[in-house]
Amino acid sequence: MSGISKSIPKQDTAEKTSGEALYIGDIKVDGMLHAKTLRSTKTRALIKEIKLPDLPEGYHIVDYRDIPGENYVKIIFEDMPVFAEKTVNYYGEPILLVIGSDKQQILKLIDAIEVIYEPLEPRYKYTKSVVHYEYEKGNTDTAFANAVRTINGEYKTGYQEHIYLEPQGVISLYDENKITILGSMQCPYYIKNAVMQVLNADEDGVRVQQATTGGAFGGKEEFPSLIACQAAVASAKLKKPVSLIYDRMEDIETTTKRHPSLIKFTAAIGPDFTVDGIRAHVSLDSGAYIGLSGVVLQRAMIAASGVYTIKNLSVSGDVYETNSVPNGAFRGFGAPQMFFAVEMFMEHIAKELKYSPLEFKLNYLAKTGDATSTGGQFRNPIIMRDMVHKAWEISDYRRKTTEFSQLGVYKGIGMSLFLHGCGFTGSGEQKHIKAVVRLRKNKDDTVTILASSTDMGQGAATTLRKIAAGILELSVEQIIYNKPDTDHVPDSGPTVASRTIMIVGGLIARAAVDLKEKWKPGEEIIVEQRYKQPEFIKWDEDKLRGDAYPAYSWGVVVSEVEVNPVTWTVELKGLWSVYDIGIAIDERIVIGQIEGGLLQGISYGMMEVMECKEGIIQQRNVTDYIIPTAADSINMHTVLMDNSYPLGPYGAKGAGELPLVGGAPAVAMAIENAIGKKVTRIPVTPEYIMELMKNG
Amino acid sequence: MVKSYFPKTYRQALEILAKSNPAIIAGGTDLMVKKRRWSGLSPGFSEDMIFISQLRELDYIRRENGKIYIGANVTLEKLLHDKDIPEILKKAVASMASPGVRHTATLAGNIANASPAGDTLPVLYILNARIVIGSLERENVIQIEDFILGPGSIDLRRSEIIKEIIIDDTDFDFMMYEKVGGRKSDAISKVSFAAAVSSVFDMVTDMRIAIGAVAPTVVRIREFELQLIDTPVNEMAQISGLVKDLYKPLIKPISDQRSTADYRKMCVLNFIEEFLNKAGKRIGKEKDIDW
Amino acid sequence: MAEIKFVLNNEKVQIDRDPTMRLLDVLRDDFGLIGVKEGCGEGECGACSVLIDSEVASSCIVPLGNVFDKKIVTIEGFKKTDRYKVLHEAYEEEGAVQCGFCIPGMLLASESLLNKNPHPSEDEIRDGLSGNLCRCTGYNMIVRAVQRAAETGEGLW
Repeated sequence: MSGISKSIPKQDTAEKTSGEALYIGDIKVDGMLHAKTLRSTKTRALIKEIKLPDLPEGYHIVDYRDIPGENYVKIIFEDMPVFAEKTVNYYGEPILLVIGSDKQQILKLIDAIEVIYEPLEPRYKYTKSVVHYEYEKGNTDTAFANAVRTINGEYKTGYQEHIYLEPQGVISLYDENKITILGSMQCPYYIKNAVMQVLNADEDGVRVQQATTGGAFGGKEEFPSLIACQAAVASAKLKKPVSLIYDRMEDIETTTKRHPSLIKFTAAIGPDFTVDGIRAHVSLDSGAYIGLSGVVLQRAMIAASGVYTIKNLSVSGDVYETNSVPNGAFRGFGAPQMFFAVEMFMEHIAKELKYSPLEFKLNYLAKTGDATSTGGQFRNPIIMRDMVHKAWEISDYRRKTTEFSQLGVYKGIGMSLFLHGCGFTGSGEQKHIKAVVRLRKNKDDTVTILASSTDMGQGAATTLRKIAAGILELSVEQIIYNKPDTDHVPDSGPTVASRTIMIVGGLIARAAVDLKEKWKPGEEIIVEQRYKQPEFIKWDEDKLRGDAYPAYSWGVVVSEVEVNPVTWTVELKGLWSVYDIGIAIDERIVIGQIEGGLLQGISYGMMEVMECKEGIIQQRNVTDYIIPTAADSINMHTVLMDNSYPLGPYGAKGAGELPLVGGAPAVAMAIENAIGKKVTRIPVTPEYIMELMKNG
Repeated sequence: MVKSYFPKTYRQALEILAKSNPAIIAGGTDLMVKKRRWSGLSPGFSEDMIFISQLRELDYIRRENGKIYIGANVTLEKLLHDKDIPEILKKAVASMASPGVRHTATLAGNIANASPAGDTLPVLYILNARIVIGSLERENVIQIEDFILGPGSIDLRRSEIIKEIIIDDTDFDFMMYEKVGGRKSDAISKVSFAAAVSSVFDMVTDMRIAIGAVAPTVVRIREFELQLIDTPVNEMAQISGLVKDLYKPLIKPISDQRSTADYRKMCVLNFIEEFLNKAGKRIGKEKDIDW
Repeated sequence: MAEIKFVLNNEKVQIDRDPTMRLLDVLRDDFGLIGVKEGCGEGECGACSVLIDSEVASSCIVPLGNVFDKKIVTIEGFKKTDRYKVLHEAYEEEGAVQCGFCIPGMLLASESLLNKNPHPSEDEIRDGLSGNLCRCTGYNMIVRAVQRAAETGEGLW
């Protein structure tokens, strides 16, 4: 373990255990009004008329007509309105806000509003493609022409809801020249840019400050921009502070979720019973608006060959629009769907061809220097073989595989192999994000990190300080990190895509080197670093060709389960995992990310059920949408294998999303092996197992 | 504005109930969820409320004459730690909600809530629970299956209150409680199942089966149970097909956001089979409760 | 409205309020005890946990009328105790705190558990904390923190 990996206390633990940390719901502002959203009760309809009651003094309605700028939320693809205008496209779509001081009165007014709709035919199936991509590596046509047989696979994944413990919320403050948004968020500058566009304001007209954020997992990547825009419009109109804070049910029903998917594969099996080519198609359900679904699709498609080198690969994908709640960012961003599918498919090919699945997979495992799915190159050493051996050893994998294969045992063990590209896909960093980081040396010889990266629990406030302190040879206490405020920090990009340590931390490291050279005691000095894409990265955004990511983090998860043959309920018996995330900046923080991410992945694979029936989410609270409790979790055995990445700070790569990606396939495979039936969808619930046992 | 009453004694509570007919709130763990509104606002109660959790008189567990008496204010947590409470009821209680809810929720509340998925209900049914209903005029005792009329519906007048619950203090040869939820703890049941059997000279003398969350109220059919009396213990496993056929038409679960009808039905039938298999094997060897 | 008297963080208090109000709202809005969090509003997540007569309870489903003469402790009161110090250090040492939203409730659930059972097994800890959802940690660091607190705080519980 390298020195930087040695764990230190986190910056924010004390204020959190003592209950002093201020989350958005804890902030009170003088004269603050409350806002409640009137929502569509139709999945698709024209709004013919809105009958409003007389508003008492001090009560207001804010809708699309109050927007000075554009009625779109600035996300990657701008199609989601801030407030519905003529049509509503999903159940729960925001139409207007009722605002005032007394919550009871607001509810009364909401109840008194009558919206007259003319229903339109809604769409719930994968029929209307709104984004399409495809890419090819090698020549699949030839591979298929020469195939002795083909093997098909079709895999389905369900919704996943973030259930960050703190629901969404923002407060908009009014000043003559400035709207200030306080809120629970991952990406202050996403919000700033979105609010500027809606208010038609310039840089100085909008300020965004992060409040302590109670978990996010991607759920507070783009969604907060919507409610920030709404609150800002209200605040600008009423010249008052306005709070828009969701309760849990509203949050579950109306905020973004992980995209459900349908993934189809065909493999060309050559004369020597090898996989000579794979064709894959990915369908994602975007819900009513596209938002960032196209980018999620790209990440899913790029992962189509998993951790394997498949010479001939043809991948296409579509985002389908449906009249349901829009889906969005969620830890893993398309990769969890694809890794479930591709890991199961490789397993199923092996079983079909009567190979040992693991030996089979190892034969195709990508090696250092191999071409990636998109024709880029794995430049940095791949140590997956050692990782798999480690995982075998710590989980007693081989013995258990044999022991559990006996009939009537109902125990199973499964292993998933996976990777996650670190940072934005392709040239996103260079072309779109253009991260800037500053370090300010203060007169008292402390150093302040000026970056927009947020800490939402994952520990950036501690790890980023460690990086700066290490290079400047200062104590961590001498490095100051405050929650981002766009009036004080430059745009170092959003806190997403496993980029914070590798990209932003990398910039901080470089700035620290610079500052060390310029260091003069007692003086204020500011240094700045801007992201520069490594020269070797070439990416064709339209054709999805080239190096999709500068670096990859890798993982192996082994899961052991026991299935109850009376109820088909599944009990987790063991979880072992091994990772290559370069070098851990703080081992305990990384293990915390791993354990939390892995459990989210495991429960995505076996527990978390969310269904959308006729456009309406059926599991609307945490009683019905089940996530694991402490009693469902088990001790996890985690090994980090150092594999320093030359361009990362201290050799670090990304770690935030990776652990979630491997959970679902590992547990699905363990269940498949326990019941001896082919599993092709997640979550693998007892209800689904029953079906498999009956029909399989 | 609705009115709230805080009686100091049980007698006073009866007087208030007789005079003003308020709705009763005990632990509040079900009602507060049902009536909740926007945070910061009072729940939307539309009737006058009478608070009873302060009545220490109703907080007792007594074991006398082959019966156990449980006062209406006994919390679920207290049941878990009382030596007189049958293990099978403790198992059902332990499977319910979370420590934070068990500390405030009451057994009487779980009955009054009359949810088809109420976790303690199948156990209370097989323990022949009787509900003691108090009012200023009289005290009534009513069987639990007559008291619970349907989902959320109970046979309790506005002037009445649940005073206590009486359960059998029977020593069965074999008992089984099973609950299937979406996770290991803190989950609402998809199905729940309680069963018990006693025998004399290896012949069944008493057999009880109750099933939750598969019909509007808990399913317990005494005439089926009577038919099973005098079954030789060593034949119990063989009759499981027969018993399942008896119950099949009465198991009419629904599909909802928590599970499917098919799954619920399968679990129940499997539980019946498992119960009969295990009971047949265990009886005669050692008296046991199947955990 | 009714005059409700209770002991809050070791001080006698009295408040004239609708007794059907959620204890959670009274603690947050009337007493400014913002360490009590609302995560779900239906008694499922435990973020609003407080101690009522030393036992953990979900304050979002406790009506104010039910705390007559009871002793309520929130994180603001608990943080003044030696037991808090031990739990805080254990949580810090084990890395059990991520986003922190569940943490005040989790600490009080830990206190309630250790108060009843000073030497809980791993399963007893998992069961004792099963009403407090955490989406960040996967729980193991929290479970280890409680184990650590039970050891380092030997004699306090």
